[in-house]
Amino acid sequence: MNIPRHEYGFFLLLVITTLVTTVITATSFWYLPILLLILFSAIFLLTQTGRDRVIYLVCGGEPLVIICGTMNLWAGLIIQCTLAGIISVAMGFFESTWDQRVFALFCGILSLVTLLIELSNHVLLPLFVLGAATTVILAARSVRMYQFRKQYNGARP
Amino acid sequence: MCLICFMLISAAIILDDMAILLAGGTLGAAVLGRSLIFDHRMREIVSSVSIQRSLSKNSVRNGTPVSVSSEIVFQGSSWLQIEISDLLPPNTQLIEGNATVISSREPGEQTKTCTYRIVPLIHGTPAFSGISVSVRDPFFEGSITMTRPEDCEPVLSVLPSGLFTPLPSESSDGTRDSRRMSTWSGSDIHSLREYQTGDDLRHADWKVSAKYGKIFIRRYSLPTSLPPFIIVDLPEYGEPYPEKEFDRMIAEVTGLVRHTIETFQKVSVLIISGPNIIHLIREEKNLSRCMSWLQEGLHPAHRPVHFYHMQDRTDLRSHLRDVEHALALDDDTPAQVFFSVLQDRFIRTLQYHRASAFSGQVARTISPFQMSDAFLFSLGCSDTSHIRQIVRPLQSQHIRVHIRIIGEHPGTDSGLKSPAPSSEVQV
Repeated sequence: MNIPRHEYGFFLLLVITTLVTTVITATSFWYLPILLLILFSAIFLLTQTGRDRVIYLVCGGEPLVIICGTMNLWAGLIIQCTLAGIISVAMGFFESTWDQRVFALFCGILSLVTLLIELSNHVLLPLFVLGAATTVILAARSVRMYQFRKQYNGARP
Repeated sequence: MCLICFMLISAAIILDDMAILLAGGTLGAAVLGRSLIFDHRMREIVSSVSIQRSLSKNSVRNGTPVSVSSEIVFQGSSWLQIEISDLLPPNTQLIEGNATVISSREPGEQTKTCTYRIVPLIHGTPAFSGISVSVRDPFFEGSITMTRPEDCEPVLSVLPSGLFTPLPSESSDGTRDSRRMSTWSGSDIHSLREYQTGDDLRHADWKVSAKYGKIFIRRYSLPTSLPPFIIVDLPEYGEPYPEKEFDRMIAEVTGLVRHTIETFQKVSVLIISGPNIIHLIREEKNLSRCMSWLQEGLHPAHRPVHFYHMQDRTDLRSHLRDVEHALALDDDTPAQVFFSVLQDRFIRTLQYHRASAFSGQVARTISPFQMSDAFLFSLGCSDTSHIRQIVRPLQSQHIRVHIRIIGEHPGTDSGLKSPAPSSEVQV
């Protein structure tokens, strides 16, 4: 089985984080992260050549993120980042230096999102902030795309 | 992916669970991030696309295939599938080849060539419609149509074609002409042909049938005169022309068309503009439909082809004979030098002078029609040298040509005289 080096590294980090979090927090539902880890490992290994591998990895990985996030939010962040890393490698989005920088930036943004969630008592406030930021970004993207299309449709700049 | 994200955020709102919000929010951020990266890459690729088209012929007649070779240069990507389509000019049909190229999944500049053949259906000067670039990755897909002037070059020049399909000849069904007068109802026996199922046995020629051992049927025809063929020469679009005379010409044409349909039950009208065939109304029986076509078609028209007062080969040969005759008669040395130079010019012109395509088109267009007279209406403005090219094939078929020059234009150069504001010249 030819597993790319980066993918293997991300997977190892995910396993270690899950186990360490489970041991340190010592919650009453300690068996759940272990079971979900086994499930994710099985998906990770069995879908090496599958066509829709990404969707299986997301479906198998997100429950693990939620369980670990319930135990510790920052542990959930690390699991989410490693999951994103595995998917990026699987999709070929981790090959160039530029891709790796983008991934690092993405992890940084996720940290800010986690910090926002950590500081909030309820879901609504961080959700509102995330929604507003997404709307602004999508609006800016639409305007830029419109200008771009206009330029290439023969309109004068 | 978006569905999973939506479900997670919905669950986070319902359960007020921060861990689910973390999962949903970060997944949403990942999707948004990928879409921004996709847009960025797509813009890079579209900016890098350039196309260089080359045509086998810059100027073609409609219905004639033309080969197009497009060299497309663009920036490739290892994780994006890029599909670039060369958009055909309007009113053309792809008959062979493929106008789309697909990138290989390699980074760096790529050059692809697509070769195909198109057939322009309508005359004019259509430009290419541009390029369509489609970019696809496992999550997103986008396409953009590039229609900048440089993406639509070159302009294809499609000339009108007079290649109208001739009707099948009446003599192709194995008939034999037997032009003898019959005592039956004053009709003329036009021909005899073998009996076919459904034929009236009362028309059988029993003598001939007994002679050949097969039943022959007589075909009768009444001695009728043939409808005249009408040719209308329109002025050039965008050039000045006498509007009053043009209106008068249209009135005369519609009057003749009406009279022809009323008398002969059908009319054929050929509309030209200089040496360009615009439209042919073929043996139309419906007066109102014919009038609506005339109303639609009788306007100044574009002239993609010009003759530039070109004389045809017969005229040149005639001039050459005159010069040779003058050379033989004249003893004056300066005059002989002049005629020698003139003779040399005529011979050189004849060497490079080819029979015009227009003349052949006119001959092919009129060949299926039976006529004894043809009426040609023209304003006679600007270059009228094409009129000779119409008259000659008609004359070769022993058709009387009546040329109606509406208005007085002293600058005409067709060898035709137009002494009165409205004159008729019978050739």
